[in-house]
Amino acid sequence: MDSVFSYQNEAPSGNIDGPLAGLKIAVQPTIGVAGWPAQAGSEALAGYSSPDDATVIARLRQGGAMLAGLTHAGELGLGINNKSTAGRPTEAKITDAEVMLDLTGEARLSAARSNLWGFKPSWGLLPRTGIAGLIPSMEACGILARDPATIRAILETTAGADDRDFSQPALRYKVVNADEIKPGQLTLGIIKDATALLSGTKQDAFKEQMNELKKSGFQIRDLSWPDYRLCLTVHRLVGSVEASSAAGRYDSVRFGKRAPGARNWNEMYLQSRGAFFGTLIKSYLIQGAYFQFERYDAYENACRIRARLLIQVQRLFGQADVLVFPVQRPADTETLSGLYEQCKFTAHANVTGLPALHVPHVSADSPGIELQATHGDCGRVIALGEYLHRLRAGGRS
Amino acid sequence: MEFEAVIGLEIHIELNCATKLFCDCPNNPGDDANTNTCPVCLWFPGAPARLSRAALEKAALLCLGLNCELQTKSAFDQKVYYYPDQPKGYQLSQAHRPLARGGWVDITDEDGSVKRLNIHHIHMEEDVAKLVHEMDGRTPVSLVDFNRAGAPLVEIVTEPDFRTPHHAMEFLKTLRTQVRYIGSSECSMENGTMRADANISIRPRGTNQMNTKVEVKNMNSVRHVGDAIAHEISRQSAAVRVGETITEHTRLWDPDKKTTLPMREKFEAPCIPDPSIPEIILQPDEISAWRSRLPEMPAALAKRFVSQHCLSIEEATYLSSDPETASYFEELVRRGVAARTAMHWVSTQLLPALRQRNLEITQAPVTPQRLARLLAMLAGDEINAAAARDVLSFMFECNDSPEDIVKNRGLGQLSDGDELTAMVERVLARQTAAVEDFKSGQAKAMGFLIGQVMQASGGKANPKVIKEMLTRKLSS
Repeated sequence: MDSVFSYQNEAPSGNIDGPLAGLKIAVQPTIGVAGWPAQAGSEALAGYSSPDDATVIARLRQGGAMLAGLTHAGELGLGINNKSTAGRPTEAKITDAEVMLDLTGEARLSAARSNLWGFKPSWGLLPRTGIAGLIPSMEACGILARDPATIRAILETTAGADDRDFSQPALRYKVVNADEIKPGQLTLGIIKDATALLSGTKQDAFKEQMNELKKSGFQIRDLSWPDYRLCLTVHRLVGSVEASSAAGRYDSVRFGKRAPGARNWNEMYLQSRGAFFGTLIKSYLIQGAYFQFERYDAYENACRIRARLLIQVQRLFGQADVLVFPVQRPADTETLSGLYEQCKFTAHANVTGLPALHVPHVSADSPGIELQATHGDCGRVIALGEYLHRLRAGGRS
Repeated sequence: MEFEAVIGLEIHIELNCATKLFCDCPNNPGDDANTNTCPVCLWFPGAPARLSRAALEKAALLCLGLNCELQTKSAFDQKVYYYPDQPKGYQLSQAHRPLARGGWVDITDEDGSVKRLNIHHIHMEEDVAKLVHEMDGRTPVSLVDFNRAGAPLVEIVTEPDFRTPHHAMEFLKTLRTQVRYIGSSECSMENGTMRADANISIRPRGTNQMNTKVEVKNMNSVRHVGDAIAHEISRQSAAVRVGETITEHTRLWDPDKKTTLPMREKFEAPCIPDPSIPEIILQPDEISAWRSRLPEMPAALAKRFVSQHCLSIEEATYLSSDPETASYFEELVRRGVAARTAMHWVSTQLLPALRQRNLEITQAPVTPQRLARLLAMLAGDEINAAAARDVLSFMFECNDSPEDIVKNRGLGQLSDGDELTAMVERVLARQTAAVEDFKSGQAKAMGFLIGQVMQASGGKANPKVIKEMLTRKLSS
């Protein structure tokens, strides 16, 4: 199973007194570990090693976690493809958890692929210092584990202000325990505009899961979010525009790779930028550049729509405590259309910045579900996840 | 047809902060190449930018000092363009939401009247790296020095209010003086801490047309700005007269050939809001606190020098053109030196002596305290003016007090006593012709006789006393 790692730590060790003592964690190579390769799945960064630990990594170490190695990542963390091994080490019980970038839903989708729990925290709760980002206003450091309690432990250790990350909002991680989850007092909202995108059989399977939750005492409420479909459009525009700028720093030349055959250094820089990116990233960046240079008005409209979507989703939390969305297991892709098909049920959480927890499927044919709470209320979705985990364990016993 | 020019300036000023705009690296671009760098200003993956509060304060003070309205909310954008001196592919700038809007600078027009030139806005931005092109034997080598990458800049964008090269040159000179007063920058075009680009178009005089403009870059002094604008006005006027169409593009000023040459088509980079640098929100009390820290500005200071010290407006303007010079002058006056004497000695003795020694006034070994003591000796007739000039010269070379220098070098003034009387009598005895001339009504003979006594005293005699003695002797 060595192939799940792109780099393996031969002698992982950790502080034996920390809250994460004994926990083995795999790291996506988008997240800097001092002295380890930090290629982020891209040829453009080949040979680059991280000068420092990302803040998240430093906090994991402080907490006693053992860093097992680096997984293989899709280029710059974007999308799920057959090269990405995110979720595999934890599925194979080589590691207990993983940390990785969530740009369009990758952490949750990798969890869905490996039938794990996958979590994307509220935007800004975990510092991004030391993470090779791509979509600054949407990305977050996600956490994968075989149970939600491990996710909680990692979140409690890594969340909070980092004085090097100027972009962090003043968010607090709200602590809610599973014991505090009273199904009769908790309303779960189902967005019918999202479930309508599922095929007929998957819709039935999703409804069945909701019925199970209803039987457990949760109040289920159907909610309407007519603009839900716009989330993906907004992600397509804003995400690719931000990426087109952000990826400029991965210029390959400064990291040691130069395209041959250029007549002068300016040409060499320009050719190198094209030579070492893969097809998906190139397509994504070109899409962003198109909106930057040719259709800036569309980008501005997308920003306005995004602001409206944030207000709309906040209003939904006036009608439900937690929103429940379907999740589909991702098919590997190297194309933009495949990327947007992969993330059609996950990208909206990146657009809104809400915390989202992927709950593994109960059977091979049923889709998983994703729980979302309001900003900063990561504790509630994790507590609900822990409650459901216990419920399922009880059901099986 | 007679044309008039429509000119606007875009001026980059490097703030004299200790650190760069988004990291803690020293803001010393002149140090050994690539010594002042870190993951942030090299834009390595995952290195977050953190706005320097000191840079924000310096920029805000500059805006307030130029009469601008600080915006309570402003933000950084990514100006997307690529060049080897900007390898991360975008420059952090405030394109959409600048730090300040409005503002103005008053200049003296060619006819002596005051002309107000308006500022459109001022924004902050980071500087780019510096490209160095060298030859390694016969092979050209291009290098990038990141010491300057991320240095804190403000860009001042004026309204197109300028009509002549004089306006542009006076604007830059006045701006430079004002910013130096504020203390936000040294504003030296020669050292690159102030850089100006000009946008120039022409139109038939008396119309309000706004025609296609041409941008001119690469002007490294105020004079170059004036020369380049004058050349560009002539070039465009001649082109229009023969029916050519002016196209929007950028030209470079060639100071050797005294011409502008086409560089490239005008490029407008897209600017998208930076998601990782929080909006800058200024509270009214914060703005008030900054405003209270502004020094007295040069125009106000000159006006006060006129009313308080009875200087002419030219003298007052001269002294107030540099904050350190003004401060030196005021310190002399505070120490009891008559204002006119202080002005005279600063402008005719101290500043030339400093220039001769390549020193700034802040580096002068002759402090206001020492010079005030020297001028007190002059006022008290302990030395004469010639000796005072000699003493000043010695004061540049040693730390001795002026009193000690006078004593040790025997420069004290002879004002009374038998020695002076004897000298006067000897001169009168020898210069009988001049004595006769004076007695026959030729007053200028007195000057000659005073000069003779001064010479006899080795320059130490007090001319006032000599004149009194000569007058007494000649009238008896």
